[in-house]
Amino acid sequence: MFRILKKSLKTGVVTGRYPSAVQPAEQIAAGAREKADPFGRSLTIREVDTGSCNACEMEMNALTNSVYDIERFGIHVAASPRHADALVVTGPVTVNMERALKDVYKQTPDPKLVIALGDCAINCGLFKGSYAVTGPVERHIPVDVRIPGCPPRPAEILKVLSELRGGDDRQ
Amino acid sequence: MADAAAAAALLKKEFSEAVLAMASIHGISWLRIQTDQVPLLVHYLHAKPDVRGSLSLLWAVDHRPREARYEVLYLFTLAERQDWLLLSTELSDETRLFRSITPHIHAAQWYEREIRDMFGLIPQGHPDLRRLVRHEHWPKGTHPLKKDFAWDQVLGRQQGEYRFRHIEGEGVFEAPVGPIHAGIIEPGHFRFSVAGEPILQLEVRHFWKHRGVEKLFEQRTLIDAVPLAERVSGDTSVGHGLAYCQAVEMMMGMTVPRRGRYLRSLFLELERIHNHLGDVGAICNDTAYTLAHAHCGRMKERIMQLNDRLTGSRFLRGVLTVGGVTRGLAALQFDEIVAELDQIEKDFSELESIIFANASLADRLETTGVLTERTARDHVVTGVIGRASGIDRDIRRDRPFAAYDELPVNVALYQYGDVRARLRVRIDEIHESIRLIREIRRKIPAGPIAVEPSRVPNPGEWGLSAVEGWRGEILYYVMAGENGCIHRCKVRDPSFVNWPAIQWAVQGNIIPDFPLINKSFNLSYAGNDL
Repeated sequence: MFRILKKSLKTGVVTGRYPSAVQPAEQIAAGAREKADPFGRSLTIREVDTGSCNACEMEMNALTNSVYDIERFGIHVAASPRHADALVVTGPVTVNMERALKDVYKQTPDPKLVIALGDCAINCGLFKGSYAVTGPVERHIPVDVRIPGCPPRPAEILKVLSELRGGDDRQ
Repeated sequence: MADAAAAAALLKKEFSEAVLAMASIHGISWLRIQTDQVPLLVHYLHAKPDVRGSLSLLWAVDHRPREARYEVLYLFTLAERQDWLLLSTELSDETRLFRSITPHIHAAQWYEREIRDMFGLIPQGHPDLRRLVRHEHWPKGTHPLKKDFAWDQVLGRQQGEYRFRHIEGEGVFEAPVGPIHAGIIEPGHFRFSVAGEPILQLEVRHFWKHRGVEKLFEQRTLIDAVPLAERVSGDTSVGHGLAYCQAVEMMMGMTVPRRGRYLRSLFLELERIHNHLGDVGAICNDTAYTLAHAHCGRMKERIMQLNDRLTGSRFLRGVLTVGGVTRGLAALQFDEIVAELDQIEKDFSELESIIFANASLADRLETTGVLTERTARDHVVTGVIGRASGIDRDIRRDRPFAAYDELPVNVALYQYGDVRARLRVRIDEIHESIRLIREIRRKIPAGPIAVEPSRVPNPGEWGLSAVEGWRGEILYYVMAGENGCIHRCKVRDPSFVNWPAIQWAVQGNIIPDFPLINKSFNLSYAGNDL
């Protein structure tokens, strides 16, 4: 017990120890911000991987660590699409995941937002044209917000999510 | 008797009629064998006590349009000196049949189903010919790696249902899980058959993320395919990129300068550390021990930020190129790396003593998800999972690549094969990687970091390489086509051989322990599905 306390005291607060986002994010469309309005300052996210290489997932996971601590902004990750306000979709949509993606979209209650995370979700990236890929996310479901990058850094994701909630990504 | 040349000579002597040709290419012993004699020969190779070849890779090549034939290749690793022995057999365009070796060698099962799906070649005598990569809605006759299949064609859709293995009886229930899971992880389907709490059977149904990676390689040139290799499995960007580069370098006979090789080892170890740190935390987190998870997540983040400062990518993307590396590091940056790692090692050691003093954690980890050595050997399980089950294999030591011929590696080895053993292997490897990086700073020579490719390889030339990534052995086979393009690129992530093994490790465990066992394996879905 003493050892654990000592470790915690020694470590101190690490939240916020990350370089600011450098890549200028795409402007969030006014329509998207309007759609995010009903959720107020909080947002519950369901993450759906439709064929990414796993790097975008790792950066989403990094957002929940103590350095970025996304929960301090009222952003949660839900285990089911039925509890979600927003879907974060990563990866080009593979032929095998197409139906799963559409099902998840239907299962998410309205009003809802769809965020395409990473280059693959926005334009299929390096996998564009492949027989096994059926096109970017917006070919199958309407996309409201795009976060480019391969993969986007956690700070960049955080910036967009904060702007969407009408807040600042540092407080 | 252990080396491949001797084994090849022995096979030639014992099966003189079946062996059609024999050669040594890039130092790899190669035999061409009559198609109907393959099972007999590989069985001999596999079972003979002083040879004990284990199947490392099985793949096919469509040689059209240059020659109207298919080739099936078998790569064996011999027990003692880890020598490679390559066997191949040829099929004509009309027959499309080859003899399955799965009845003799269990590890061949997924490879042969993969060949059937991707090439339409049928392994005669295979006990399980259900589709593997192609899901049931793919139209009949779709075999993407055949040369007459257009890479960008649009697939139709048909009706169809995958037939799971069923266990029937009173009180037996099936629990479907996935493809979309509760956490932020990749898609895959798990089908459990349970009686009460214990799992009777698990069947893994994957390939949801199949993106056609091997076909996409064939649309690129040898030199510009590195970014694609880095995106096969995002968490193993350096591992896959390096295995690809080495295969091409072997084909072209290029020698990477020493400083370049040291830097490659450095990047590979950095990748190993950040992934292992994440895994140690995630294993603890799945027992609801979030304290360790929080600390590990913080340390992992430090390494990712270090990666970003060094190379401009948190995943170390873009540092590799055919012939060397793209980024040299200044002496000051080496000081920064080692200073950072010194702090992290101290920090992590303190956490380690907290983790292992926790009795309730030990209770969850010990005897959970045991993968026996026998099962591991039958599946030719590689990497962390193998070393936790007593398989003493590490490519860095056994077939040194990059700078490992000058950097001896102490291989972590545990016998019990449970979640705790897999956790221990990862912890030991974190310390070992930090030690190796200190060693790299001490030994790294000055000089150039890359060489330019000197020639365009002839069509049909090939290279084969193995890299010990953080998950295990990554294999690449690259064959050149016309004008410096790629004719065939076979990618083998360690997950492809480790996934079938997890089906055995969970038996008798309870479903709530499955996430923990799965985390302790931490296999890639993207690298498996390709």
